[in-house]
Amino acid sequence: MRVTEVVARPVVTLRGDDVAQVKDVVYGGDSGAVAGFTLAGRGLLSGPMKEGLPWEGVLALGRDAVIIADESVLQPRKTVVARGEARRGDALGSQVLTDGGVELGRVVDVVVEVGRSAGVVGYEIDPTEAIGRDNKRVLIPLPDTLAVSGERLIVPAETVDFVTDDLAGFGAAVDEFRTRLRRSAAQGGQQA
Amino acid sequence: MRFSEAKNHPVVGTGSADTVGKVKSFVVDAAQARVVALVLAKAAGKADTLLWEDITSFGPDAVTVSSADRLVEPAGELAVLVDKKHAVLGKRVLTDAGDGLGEVKDVEFDPAGGAIRTLLTSGGEVAAWQLIALGSYALMVRTA
Repeated sequence: MRVTEVVARPVVTLRGDDVAQVKDVVYGGDSGAVAGFTLAGRGLLSGPMKEGLPWEGVLALGRDAVIIADESVLQPRKTVVARGEARRGDALGSQVLTDGGVELGRVVDVVVEVGRSAGVVGYEIDPTEAIGRDNKRVLIPLPDTLAVSGERLIVPAETVDFVTDDLAGFGAAVDEFRTRLRRSAAQGGQQA
Repeated sequence: MRFSEAKNHPVVGTGSADTVGKVKSFVVDAAQARVVALVLAKAAGKADTLLWEDITSFGPDAVTVSSADRLVEPAGELAVLVDKKHAVLGKRVLTDAGDGLGEVKDVEFDPAGGAIRTLLTSGGEVAAWQLIALGSYALMVRTA
């Protein structure tokens, strides 16, 4: 699921009470991950809330709601937003470059795993001609760890082989990609 | 028996043979998967709630109770469950994975003990073991 789809979804506790709705996604640039969400009240007239939802407080991101254990996982909004900024801001708009020096495109959205374990698994990018898909947006899987600066993130050259435009089959592509990276890392170790 | 069949059942006092009201709605404790009380229509006074343990028998045609004195005004925890926001019929159903299963259409329960057996939702059936809690926004259920 694209993380921006979560915006405006209700935040519901396991007791079945809706305590907020998602206002915005807070991106943590350095890890390429999502730091959390800012929240708004549930009423028509209610504005932004003083509390934010840190990523670790999320039990599940579903089609219809974001599930949390209870209200105690909420933290002051400033704390959640500051964690994003401390990691040098926003993954969105960043240039994606392979370690082979090929520019793949720019990040337009973050793809997260849904269901009961939530995690960041890839990016949606506006591709360059290097990928050659008529400038249609594509999905790239994310390795377990990657280098990110304010304006750029470096991905392994193998990423090119796993570019897809199919969100439904993306989970399998991520698993395969990460397995292959681990295998080539192990082989590299033997040669050295 | 289903809530839809049991609704409007007369509630009869066995001591006087008078009708003390009729079944209007069911008060459910989702965490225990039980019916804990009935709310009656046409009760004589302000006391319109009948605790499950005060029912003499939940029969196929009528609910019997020893006398109208058994009816209470809900207070404390029971008042929270009786609140309209916690009505189970029509309530949105959400899994712990954040996916909607539609709304509660009907509930199959055991008239002998009050245990809930199955919930019928517009998204399919939900078993009693799946129930987590009934909140102001949704009935939370475990993913099957």
